[in-house]
Amino acid sequence: MSGEVLSLAERKRLRAKTLKKHGLANILTHWFNVASWLILLPTGLAILANPNLRIMPQGYIDFFVNLFGSVGNLVRAHQIFGIIWLFVITYNVLLGFRRYFVPFARKRMLLTPDDLIWFREYGKKLLGRKYHLPPQDAYNAGQKLYGYVVILGTITIGLTGLIMTFGYLLPPELRWILQWLRPLHFTAVGGIVAGLVVHVYMAAFFPEEKSAFFSMFTGNVDALYARLHHRKWYDDKLKEEREYEMRVRLEEIEAREQETAQAERPA
Amino acid sequence: MANQVKKYGFVIDPRRCIDCRACLVACRAENNVPLNYTRNWVYDQGVQGDFPNLTQQFVPYNCMHCDEPPCVEACPSQATYKRKEDGIVVIDQEACIGCGLCLEACPYHVRYLNPQTGKADKCNACLQRIQQGEMPACVATCVGGSRLFGDLNDPNSEVSQALASAKSIKRLPAVGVDTGPNIYYINEPVDEKKLAVTEPKMPPADVFYQKIVIPGILAAVGAMFLGQAVAFAKQLRKGESEFEE
Repeated sequence: MSGEVLSLAERKRLRAKTLKKHGLANILTHWFNVASWLILLPTGLAILANPNLRIMPQGYIDFFVNLFGSVGNLVRAHQIFGIIWLFVITYNVLLGFRRYFVPFARKRMLLTPDDLIWFREYGKKLLGRKYHLPPQDAYNAGQKLYGYVVILGTITIGLTGLIMTFGYLLPPELRWILQWLRPLHFTAVGGIVAGLVVHVYMAAFFPEEKSAFFSMFTGNVDALYARLHHRKWYDDKLKEEREYEMRVRLEEIEAREQETAQAERPA
Repeated sequence: MANQVKKYGFVIDPRRCIDCRACLVACRAENNVPLNYTRNWVYDQGVQGDFPNLTQQFVPYNCMHCDEPPCVEACPSQATYKRKEDGIVVIDQEACIGCGLCLEACPYHVRYLNPQTGKADKCNACLQRIQQGEMPACVATCVGGSRLFGDLNDPNSEVSQALASAKSIKRLPAVGVDTGPNIYYINEPVDEKKLAVTEPKMPPADVFYQKIVIPGILAAVGAMFLGQAVAFAKQLRKGESEFEE
């Protein structure tokens, strides 16, 4: 957040104005991803049943085994939901590749020099020292970094999961791959979950990010939030608004000129 | 007797084995064991003694259904497990993904990857037969009565009787660790050095998973959670203001 001083009237005006941040496709993909994780994470933890490896208590594992009927069914359900998840995510990315994915990657995901400064300043903030965060894009540097973790993690989870699901088709000499994919699958999930703790906290509990939370339902953030947290993106949005305004006015003037020209033409 | 836990095991008398290998054939027929694979073996220990006092010993052999099976310890999802009710080590074919960790772990090397299913397979003591009150196929077919099978916890069972009247009893513990194998060789010493028993092996992928990955990930998630908990506590203490955000 920038240390900008804004009058109360200005704050109220900005808070009432909304800017569009997420398209419907992104919102639906996000919540589909959430629903999938709510199924895949608990079932995955229940599959990890070996007393040397398990994270959840025996009662949790028994509950899920009983819920699905058997360990085999539990594994099968995890695999099927995983494949559905992977299919939909891949389908969405491919379907919206030109319209959503490329602009998203180009405009919102690339790291800028400001992002590096942001990391330094945010480190100072965590250490309780004086800091000044530079203006940020649609996503700040921390969000971008987590974005990369999620993208890499999703690819890793998907590929390792697919190979393990169909691993019984591999020749015996290659089965050692499956043995090493298990910890890799787990690590990718763990990396995402570690960041997810922050992601969920920021969205659900942190008052400054309240606007961002509701934007995952409505697609819109309020202008005050955008200005204070994502100044570069906010300025771009204002520029877009002005350009649109200019274009509409020019069209209006042209239309009026044509009208007067027609009126002055002798009958 | 009704709620007493059973402990199934084999008692094998090598003196009575004539190396006919009917047990291998019976097992193959009963369990559809694919060619080039087998769930049980007869080891020829070779000719022993000095002429003219020569003996030759044959040692029938299959899954030991250990008390503390290293294969079960290696399986991440417990697709292979030891049945609580009778101690038989089985593989849930639906849950197994065929990663082969259990094959590496077993000190008796009784497991194989079934090429028809792609999954781990081994002796299940013919569970389908003993649930019907019959003997495992290898035991039922044994012409010399070398192989015996039954409940070791029941003093009246055939195996307990045979153990009680045996001249000698020998188990084949794994190298370095006694995993509690449940095949008892009676009446004649068995030279385990000639059998392919090794030490139980914790596969490196499992060690890596257990010792590095899980503590690392738990620490990372825990640290993040703790950090957020502190931040949340600070936030609650600070409270929310109406005009600032």
